[in-house]
This record gives sequence, structure tokens and C-alpha cells, in this order.
Amino acid sequence: MNENRRHHPSFILFKIGKLIRNSVFIFLFLFIFQSDNHSALFLYGRYIFLLFILWSIVSAVLNWLTTTYSLDNQRFYLRRGIFSKTEQSIPFSKVQNINRHTSFSHRLFGLTSISFETGIAGEDASVKFEVATKKEAARLEAAVQEPSKFVEDEPQTSLNETEAPACAEQVPYVSKPQDDRVIHFQPTHRDLLKASMTSFSFFLLVPLLASLLYNISEVIGIEERLDRIGTSLVSSSLGITAAILLIITASFIFGIVHTFIKYGRYEISSDSTRVYIKKGVLSEASFSIAKERVQAIEITQSFSKRIFGLAEVKLISAGSLSMESDDLSISSLYPFLPKKKAYSIVSELLPGYHIQEDMHRLPRRSFWVRMIKPSWLWLIATALLFYFQPNFLGINSTWWIASILLLVLVVISRILDFLHTRYCLNDEMIQLKNGGYTSTLFVTKRGKIVEVEITQNRIQRALGLSSLQTVTRARPIHTSYLEDVPDSLARTFQGWYRGRTKEVKLDTTNHDNSLPEFR
Amino acid sequence: MNDHYAAPRHSLSPNAVKYWRMEELISNVIAGVILAVLLYLDWLFGWYSWIGWVLIGLAVIFLIGIVWSILSPPLTYKSWRYDLDEEFLHLQFGIWSRTEQLVPMTKIQAVSLTQGPLMRKYKLASLSVETMGSSHAIPALPKEKAAELRVKIAHFAKIKEVEQ
Repeated sequence: MNENRRHHPSFILFKIGKLIRNSVFIFLFLFIFQSDNHSALFLYGRYIFLLFILWSIVSAVLNWLTTTYSLDNQRFYLRRGIFSKTEQSIPFSKVQNINRHTSFSHRLFGLTSISFETGIAGEDASVKFEVATKKEAARLEAAVQEPSKFVEDEPQTSLNETEAPACAEQVPYVSKPQDDRVIHFQPTHRDLLKASMTSFSFFLLVPLLASLLYNISEVIGIEERLDRIGTSLVSSSLGITAAILLIITASFIFGIVHTFIKYGRYEISSDSTRVYIKKGVLSEASFSIAKERVQAIEITQSFSKRIFGLAEVKLISAGSLSMESDDLSISSLYPFLPKKKAYSIVSELLPGYHIQEDMHRLPRRSFWVRMIKPSWLWLIATALLFYFQPNFLGINSTWWIASILLLVLVVISRILDFLHTRYCLNDEMIQLKNGGYTSTLFVTKRGKIVEVEITQNRIQRALGLSSLQTVTRARPIHTSYLEDVPDSLARTFQGWYRGRTKEVKLDTTNHDNSLPEFR
Repeated sequence: MNDHYAAPRHSLSPNAVKYWRMEELISNVIAGVILAVLLYLDWLFGWYSWIGWVLIGLAVIFLIGIVWSILSPPLTYKSWRYDLDEEFLHLQFGIWSRTEQLVPMTKIQAVSLTQGPLMRKYKLASLSVETMGSSHAIPALPKEKAAELRVKIAHFAKIKEVEQ
């Protein structure tokens, strides 16, 4: 077993940095803008704030001192806790995917962060290293990916435990040859321009500015000044046109810049065992997953993406996909892949997955079942509209116009859903496609499906229709539906699912660990 | 091979109907008493008129509930079927809309048997099975049958798939 290590010392620095970032507004407010306020609230508030800062720094140091990790060729051993100690061991075999994130501040110090996501339920689902040297991150990653080839190195950061003399053989780790890595996709400028049109990121500028303005005006009163500028602008028609033009161009430029920064340096690659996705210009994030750990694939096309012939491909993993905020999550291969490319890239990346383009459609009668189904959304909205009788733009009959508009949208969505719904079962693969304005194609193998459900209500029974549902592992659990298919398909589906026993491998090693508990 | 895909064969304990009726009766009596007290208090103190309407609404729902609680137990009993072999647990139930679930034994993580005081009176037990994503219950099995099934499922579920 490898010796205990602490995280990189700059772990403390990063914690303090985060603390400063989170409390800078409170600091400015308490000590600068309200510095001449001597009420008891502010007086004690300042002391409490200082105490809080002090405590946060001390706890960051103590946390660093008491948190250690080690690993052997099978699992991580984690120890943490200042007063009550927690020890945890997580086998590498439970790791579903690896997320790596190098923020701008990480880059300044030549560091990175890495987290190993498991499919375990609850808080301790991931093994996180918020700050690590690139070398250490690579070592950890290699250990998890190929436990058998794992060898130890880097003795310099280890703790000097007297009872454990350095007797373990120390062979320098030979970095994994990367020549078998194939790059499958990198967006061109044309792809990015298309993406910036469909992502609607140019709409982001106005709310962003508004929230910024709001945050600033919380602290300093600039509203009055803005009001004056506003009134002088609105007074002349030239001013209004100029302001609108300015906002529109600024929005477009912002949208394009935003897309280039967010999706600019995307790279999808794979080797014989794993799929790698890398993204980000200022801060880098990367994601890697073993091919056999991919639970399912989802190809989504929103209304605007369909116009441009683009699609988003998502790999579904049982582990968590993001490290901290949603912004850093990489769930999709690339959100704006040309549709043809999307289909071909799936079979390139994951052997055994072949998306068949001609799928079966629903029978006519299922269309009518869907149309007569009551739309709860429309009923409730209409009831509310009728009750409140809103008066939009001075039109008295707003309620029934809005109600009819909504009904039209619902009906169009149902028609589109009927047209989009396709299915296909072949060998061990299943393809389900549905969705109204946004269509989703779900592809998986029966070995990955955890359970299936077939439902049939009275109307469906009279027409010989059924609905299917599959459950696959994800975080949270992923459920896919296929509604109003012929009964015969439901029977075939059941038989097809029973056939999964032909493919799944049974674990014959550690029986005693996996005993179900009696309660 | 063909009968392999057939509908599940076993039904619940015939005592289930009596048990459900008794259970419904008890909860209906409790709900009825509470409702009656509220209605009386409303009449006595003359609460806001909307409270009266809400209570009347609840009373109507309560009456419909009583009718349903008399009608539903035999229907539920008739609709329930279960089956299991070493590979799958197969459940089928539902009066208005029929649901059929197929759960691989290898994906079952825990089996548990519960028995309330009323169930004990009718020598019943319910068996619930937890998987990664959800839990499934077979309500109202004969006690011995439930215990036997628990051991059987635990044995079949002991074998795990290689986790991928």
C-alpha cells in the first residue's frame, strides 16, 4: 500500500481565495460603504465578520492538515475530519467517470483539479482533489484507469511516518503512450458561428448587465444618475434607435464571443478503452469515461438546432458529470454537432453502438389516443386565465385568446411528438425517439437497462396499444418512455429484455460483499 | 420457451380482500369522526363561509372514497399477479391502467418483509424489493409464502453482474 499523503499545500490558498471572492461584497459593504455607520448592528456585524474570516482560515488549515489520502492498486483510502475522523475506501472499479477542471487560477500556479465520480448514492459519491499538481493528477488518473500497471513514485510530498520505512519499491511511472488516441472532432469557425446562432447566447447580455447593475446599485446608489441618462435618451427618437442598435450589436458580439470562449477549444478523442472530452479557453475542463461505462446515449435536437441541422449528443454516465457548478459540467460530446456527424461519431467512439436511421413509426390509431388525452396544462391554465381575467395591453378578451393560443401550441406539440416518435429494437440495442418541439433519441443496450415497465390503460387496451418504459443508471436515474405502441411490440420488448441474460457477465468473485440485506 | 413470456402466474393471498376492507374501514372511521367534529364545530361557531364549502367538498370526496373502498379490494386482488424465476421478478397490477414490471434478479439490492398489526391478524406480510432506482412491493402475501420468497429472492439476487 502507498503511503498517506496530504493534498497540495496550495489547497489552503485556494480555500482562502474562494473565501475572499465570496465575502468581498460583504466586506465592502461593512467596512467601506457603511464605514461611518455606528449602529450596534454594524458594530457587531464587523466583529462577527472578522471572526468568521478567522475561523474559516483556521479551519482551512486544519482541514488540510487532517485530510490525507493514499491508494494501492485497487482502491483509494481517504481520511479526513478535525474532531471526528472519517476513513473511507473506494475501489477503483466503482469509478464511473473522471472529471478534470483547470480554472484560471489553477493555471497561474500550474495546478489542476481532478475528481473521480462513482455511482454510489449520497454525499461521498466522488473522490475529489481540488488542488493537485499536473503530475499527481496524471498519476492518480493512470492508477484508476489501469490499476494493474500502477507503480508508485513521487516520494517528496509524502508524510514521514516513522513506522513505515520507505521499503516499497519505487519505480518511476512511465507515462502512458498516447499515440493510439484518435481525435474525432474539433469545431471549425463555421461550426462555432452556427453554434452561436442556435445557442441564443446573444440573449444573455441584457439579463447579465441587469443583474450586474442590480448588484452594484445594492451598494452604491447610481440609479438616479442612470435615470437621468435614461430620460435624456428616450426623449429623442434618434437616441432610442441608437440605443437599440447599440444593444443589438453588442448582444451579437457578446453572443459570438461567449460561444467561442465556451465551445471554442472543444476536442473529442478516444483510445481503445476510453472516451475523452476537453473544452474551455480560459479555464479548461475535461471528462473521460471508459467505453463500457457509458450507460446510454441521448441525441437531442431542439427546434432551432433542427433548422440548422445540428444535434447534441450526450453520454449518460452513472457518475456525476460536473465538479462544482453546472457551468463546468460536460455531459455532452458537443452541443452543436452536425446531425450526420453526430450519428457517425457515436459508432466511431463506441463500438457496438450503431444507430439505425430507419426506425418504425407508430400506427395511426395511437395518434387519436394522443389527441383525445386531456391536456392538464391547458385545462389548468385556462381555469386560471378565466378566474383572473387578465387585461393584457388593454384587450378585454385576453383570457380566451391566450387559451386558444396555448391550445394550438399543445396540439402542434402533440402532432410533432407523434411524427417524431420512432422505435427500433435490434439484437441488444434499443432506440427510442420522441419529443415535440425538442426531440430526443435514446439509445442503449439491454444489458444497461436496470428494469422495464409496460403499462396499458383502458383506452389503450381497447385499441391494442401499450406504453413502455426503461430505466437506466444515471445521476439521477434516467427513465425513457415510448407511449402508445402496438401490443405486439410490447410482447416482443419483454422477450427482448429477457434475452439480456445472454450478454451480461456475472460477477463470481466476491459474493459475500454483495449479499442483499435483510430487514 | 413461449410460456416463458406469459403473464405472471401467482396471485396474492385471498385474505388480502378482507385485510384491505378492514384497513379501509378503520381509516374511514377515523376520517369520518374528524370530519364530523369539524362540521359540528363549523355549525356551532359559524366559521367563515368558505371553510364550510371546503368541508362540504371534503365530505363529498369522503363519500366517494367510501364507495371506492368497498368496490376496490376485490378488483385490486384480481389485478395483482407476480412471478419469479432465477433471472427476473415479474409483477403485474393496476385496475384502471395495468402495469407490468420486469426486474432482473441481479439488480435487486435489498429484500424486506413488513408486517403491521392488522396484517398479523390476517397472517399476511408484504414483501418489498429495492433496486438501484426504485422499490417494488408485493402487498399482502401469506406470511409463510412471503418468508419463503424472501429467501428465494435473496438467494437469486446474491449473484451480481460485473458492474459496468
